[in-house]
Amino acid sequence: MAETDILFTPQSLGTLTLKNRFVGSAHEPAYGEGGLPLERYQAYLEEKARGGVALVMFGGSAMVSSAWSPSFGQLNLGDDRIIEPFKALSDRIHRHGAYVITQVAHPGRRSRFDSRNWLAPVAPGPYREPEHRAAPKIIESYEIEMIQDDFAAAVARCQKGGLDGVEVVFQAGQLLNTFLSPDTNQLENEYGGSLENRLRMGREILERTRAESGREFIVGVRMVGDELARGAMTQEECLEAAVMLAETGLIDYLNVVGGRAGELVSGSISIPNMSFASAPYLYLPSAIRGSVDIPVMMAQKISDPRTAARALADGHVDLVAMNRALLADPHFVRKLRDRRVEDIRLCVGANYCIDRIYAGGDALCIQNPATGRETRLPHVIRPSGARRRAVIVGGGPGGMEAARVTAERGHDVILFEAEARLGGQIHLASAIGWRKPLAQIAVWLEAQLRRLKVDLRLGTKADVDDVLALNPDIVVIATGGRPVIHGIEGAQHTVSSWDALSGVAAFKTRVLVFDDHGGHQALVAAERAASNGAEVEYVTPYRAAGIDLGGTNIATHLANLCRTGAIITTSQRLRHVYPENGRLIAVLRHEYAIEDEEREVDQVIVECGTLPVDGLYHALKSNAWNGGELDYDALRVNGAQTRRVNPHGQYQLFRIGDAVSQRNIHAAIYDAIRLLKDV
Amino acid sequence: MQVEPVAALSFAVMVTFVVFSIGLLRRIAIYRRGRPRQIPIIPALFRVPRRYLVDVHEKVDRDRLGSWMHILVAGGFLAALLCCCLTLAWPGEYFLRLAGLVSAAAMLGGASLSILRRSGRIEGYPASPSQGQWRILGPALGFTSLGFAGWFLSSGQSWSAGSVLAAGLFYTLAAASWRAPLRHALAGVLNLAFHERPGRFAESPDRGTALTPLALNEPRLGVKEATDWNWTRRLNFDACVECGRCEAACPAFAAAQPLNPKALVNDLARACELPLGDYDGQGHPGAPTVTTPTRHAIIPGFVQAQTIWSCTTCRACVEECPMFIEHVDAIMDLRRFEVLERAAIPAHGAAALNNYLVADTPGGDDPARRFDWAAGLDLPLVSDIRETELLLWAGNAAFDSRGQRTLRALVGLLHRAGIEPAILGEEERDCGDLARRLGDEATFQRLARLNIATLQSYRIGMIITPDPHVLHVMTEEYTAYGEVPRVLHHSQLLDRLVADGRLGDLTGMAGRITYHDPCYLGRYCGEFDAPRRILSSIAGELVEMERARGRSRCCGGGGGAPVTDIPGKRRIPDIRMADAVATSASVVAVACPNCAVMLEGVSDRNAEIADIAELLARAAGIET
Ligand SMILES: Cc1cc2nc3c(=O)[nH]c(=O)nc-3n(C[C@H](O)[C@H](O)[C@H](O)COP(=O)(O)O)c2cc1C
Ligand code: SF4
Ligand code: SF4
Ligand code: SF4
Repeated sequence: MAETDILFTPQSLGTLTLKNRFVGSAHEPAYGEGGLPLERYQAYLEEKARGGVALVMFGGSAMVSSAWSPSFGQLNLGDDRIIEPFKALSDRIHRHGAYVITQVAHPGRRSRFDSRNWLAPVAPGPYREPEHRAAPKIIESYEIEMIQDDFAAAVARCQKGGLDGVEVVFQAGQLLNTFLSPDTNQLENEYGGSLENRLRMGREILERTRAESGREFIVGVRMVGDELARGAMTQEECLEAAVMLAETGLIDYLNVVGGRAGELVSGSISIPNMSFASAPYLYLPSAIRGSVDIPVMMAQKISDPRTAARALADGHVDLVAMNRALLADPHFVRKLRDRRVEDIRLCVGANYCIDRIYAGGDALCIQNPATGRETRLPHVIRPSGARRRAVIVGGGPGGMEAARVTAERGHDVILFEAEARLGGQIHLASAIGWRKPLAQIAVWLEAQLRRLKVDLRLGTKADVDDVLALNPDIVVIATGGRPVIHGIEGAQHTVSSWDALSGVAAFKTRVLVFDDHGGHQALVAAERAASNGAEVEYVTPYRAAGIDLGGTNIATHLANLCRTGAIITTSQRLRHVYPENGRLIAVLRHEYAIEDEEREVDQVIVECGTLPVDGLYHALKSNAWNGGELDYDALRVNGAQTRRVNPHGQYQLFRIGDAVSQRNIHAAIYDAIRLLKDV
Repeated sequence: MQVEPVAALSFAVMVTFVVFSIGLLRRIAIYRRGRPRQIPIIPALFRVPRRYLVDVHEKVDRDRLGSWMHILVAGGFLAALLCCCLTLAWPGEYFLRLAGLVSAAAMLGGASLSILRRSGRIEGYPASPSQGQWRILGPALGFTSLGFAGWFLSSGQSWSAGSVLAAGLFYTLAAASWRAPLRHALAGVLNLAFHERPGRFAESPDRGTALTPLALNEPRLGVKEATDWNWTRRLNFDACVECGRCEAACPAFAAAQPLNPKALVNDLARACELPLGDYDGQGHPGAPTVTTPTRHAIIPGFVQAQTIWSCTTCRACVEECPMFIEHVDAIMDLRRFEVLERAAIPAHGAAALNNYLVADTPGGDDPARRFDWAAGLDLPLVSDIRETELLLWAGNAAFDSRGQRTLRALVGLLHRAGIEPAILGEEERDCGDLARRLGDEATFQRLARLNIATLQSYRIGMIITPDPHVLHVMTEEYTAYGEVPRVLHHSQLLDRLVADGRLGDLTGMAGRITYHDPCYLGRYCGEFDAPRRILSSIAGELVEMERARGRSRCCGGGGGAPVTDIPGKRRIPDIRMADAVATSASVVAVACPNCAVMLEGVSDRNAEIADIAELLARAAGIET
């Protein structure tokens, strides 16, 4: 019996029997349209059910009241229009033997004033929440009543929509969380003060919910097991609250999290990125599970099969909830069940998904472009029935994904990579300790290529003749980019962050890192230099370090740089570098004040992004039947590429990833799958 | 007084006959040292010709060289002997002499083939036939045939030919009832007549594969000494011709585990009759043959315990044996004694049997969890509905994620066909197959009775199971304890559903598929075609392994071999996988959860292992 078989034992939850111990954790994907879960959202959730989880939770922070404004695209449960899409959704989930539950929440101060009805957010205290920065008004008793009514009405809609239950949100800095925490609840009435009082609002809502739903419906609570912030709820207090909630007899389960939203660092604590160890807060549900008699679950970086099995076998939880693990691979459970563990695409904790949400976008996985695009991209590539020959040039993430997809289509694939190993820029990106897990993206792809018996020609730089000699039907140019240094006088005195990270250039004593890019690259170089003992100044022309990075990742970079004493300078552009007395003088100019300053350093590391390596592409265009051209109409809907411009052409030619223009891992992999899924 | 060669030879033949008869009486006495068994003699003898011509011939003929050898040498010998006896009366008769000469020539030809066969000189011919006395038999028969020839050529006048012939006849015939190899002719005929399993012969509609029920109140359970076998069983071992067909077929032998079925049969023949001539064939790999046997207990006197625990009960040996020797029955009798009287069983065998006592399952799994995999599928419980057309018997594989995959595919297919199978839930107990094969008859009988009682308390139309061990034990072995509903293997029902088009459109799969016949579905239950029909309806190309159908090679998963786990030099599943790889198939289809586990456990296999239900579900586009 495999260690992980324990995860496939049924578990009862209220009146339901779940077929296994896997729960898809509720999260906000921002796939809703007008606050409704329509085709895209439904297809996304159905894929999780198809992939084998027993309970699909969704509707992250779905709002019970339609009066206030959503801050990151939540569903609107405050309107009967939600019922029809819920019916369709619950059918689609039930079809796969799974159950489906939505969160029900009120954002409280985690909201904004300047949209929808331009209402001031409400909260039990007057202070702003730093992540969204709107200052709330103190909630009044009529509003308390109104919101309780909203909860009851929302639950009734969920029931009408055929859902199996709701999860009431007591965490994530939302309204009920702010009632519970002593530092955010400044009420002096029966809703503030003692723990019992602070819990009153939640308890009354649960009573209303239960009265509305009856016993057959699942009502769970997601709450904090330790707020992990100064002045906030401690583990002891959370445990006490959990026991009080369980003893009401009103709820069917507790879903415990570590950390809350309320500080800028909260996001990175509660959605632990790759710098965190596995299952960092497993002790929290563990403590609660011993004191309550309802099932307890947790979702926080329990993202690989062994950790999940251990969490369950060691008695920390009754159910294992997963969120990002399923974003990275919605078929995680099914693959594990079918003993295809090596085929599971493990979440690397890059937090691309959540950082897009914080930036107001939709949740997309850095390494799996099919997630959230189920209506147009397949998670399982079906064989084409034909057998063609494909030549892929370049073994970075894009080239590897292209090879994977093409090989899954049943074609013979030959992949050239100039370096001795696959992975391309991923090796640079994972060049500091905490970024190491990023390499797993390449590890998985490489394992898939080996399973699919792709002909890997490593250490081989292919030229036009090499490609044509193979007589290919499909050619993919994934040659990536090469670093460029642009707009700096005296560039010859600088080194690129590539050379710094790949070890070509050793770090010197005093290092200036100039970031005209805004991604991880320059920050990684700065951290690497600092950890090598250099005195580091990070300089960027933008108004923040790592301007393109989201809150959960920038937190780790900034904390690390701060710990090493590195200086961060914003809004300054590096203009000129020249040697003087054996050292270098770097001339910086303030982007807005247009004033120059100088630094005396030993080394200047520059990140200005890359320029495409596209010689091979241009050389191969004339013999391609599509001339390398794309059908943009088809591309918009991820349809098949059938454009033909050269009747004498011998192959179809695609160019993907940074060989087109500098972008990111997701873009390269997305290019690969959308262009090659139909070949 | 002038003595004629004819008279002398007549005398010699009479002496031969007398010596033969004394030997025969002695043999009968030896056979009868076993437990009694009543069987009407005359009708039994009448069965021999058909059994010989149909059943024996079919087996012998699998080895063409051996078959020709035997036809020539035995036919020639019998004909020459007849002619010779007639020439004793009419020495000069021309046609008699001519016929005699032709027969002698045929015999010589056959004898030469026999010498060739055991010489080890034919390339690609198995090294399994024994040497020793068996190597003398060919020359002795050739020598005799020359005697015949001289005799006929000289019209019965040649003293030298007569002497050669007399000596030859004495060695072959007189000694046959004593110890010489031609003993097999006598024992073989008697074995055909009195064989304990009429079901083994074409004349019978039975399969002859069920183990014999053991009365648990017997003073001795199983077999400790050779005298615990009845006379027909003792006779059975005596018929061995040491042809080595069983050895060549045995997977345990191929894996160099300490079991050679041929050597075992000879060990047992020696245990029945000491001292018997030395055995001069390959022994039990890695286990020295016992050279100075103690007279009594077979284990360890004649056979080492690990020998009997190496057997997978695959019946490949039994299937091959031209003499209808029952190796598996013998092994089972020995196992029963070891387990029931001595409580001696290696490795995890004891744990499995203990688990049966504690949990009613060999793995110690809680029967209440048998249908864990079906949560979410909404299968009705028989205890709720009391009556069902179709009951799904999940078997022990239900506790294993590999087996669950097959079960889910099966349920998906049934649902697609509009069939709703019911389940017993925790009322399903283990079928007891493993307990029985491990010799624990008490546990087996207890489980059989309980299961039968459960089944009889509901109205069940038919049972379907993906486990051929369940299929065999319920259809062939439960019958001794009570009636059970009809049981079908899932391949049999799915075959019908495919034929009736009830699974909708099936998309073919690209690539080559090969099919591994599970021993308990094929050799034990005779089902070879249903899985193949299913596969041909979906496979790009269905290729056969060299050892297929009735001669398929075991995966190593039967008979409790995985729990007794006797080490060899290789692993049986690796060998079977190599058979499959030789076909360059990309998918190996199986029809038994044990086969799936065994073959999937091969580390470097390069081919997918999938149950036919899984492949069919895939072809039908059913997600499981
Ligand atoms: C994109 C994204 C959005 C999320 N939105 C919510 C939310 O609305 N409500 C909530 O309770 N948790 C939300 N979470 C947290 C997840 O439910 C989960 O607790 C977290 O991702 C940690 O689990 P994991 O390590 O399995 O991903 C979100 C997480 C992500 C990545
Ligand atoms: S983007 Fe990163 S953190 Fe988010 S699911 Fe994908 S791999 Fe995991
Ligand atoms: S049953 Fe199979 S394993 Fe056992 S002796 Fe016969 S051939 Fe060998
Ligand atoms: S047991 Fe049967 S198959 Fe084996 S050697 Fe003897 S006669 Fe041949």
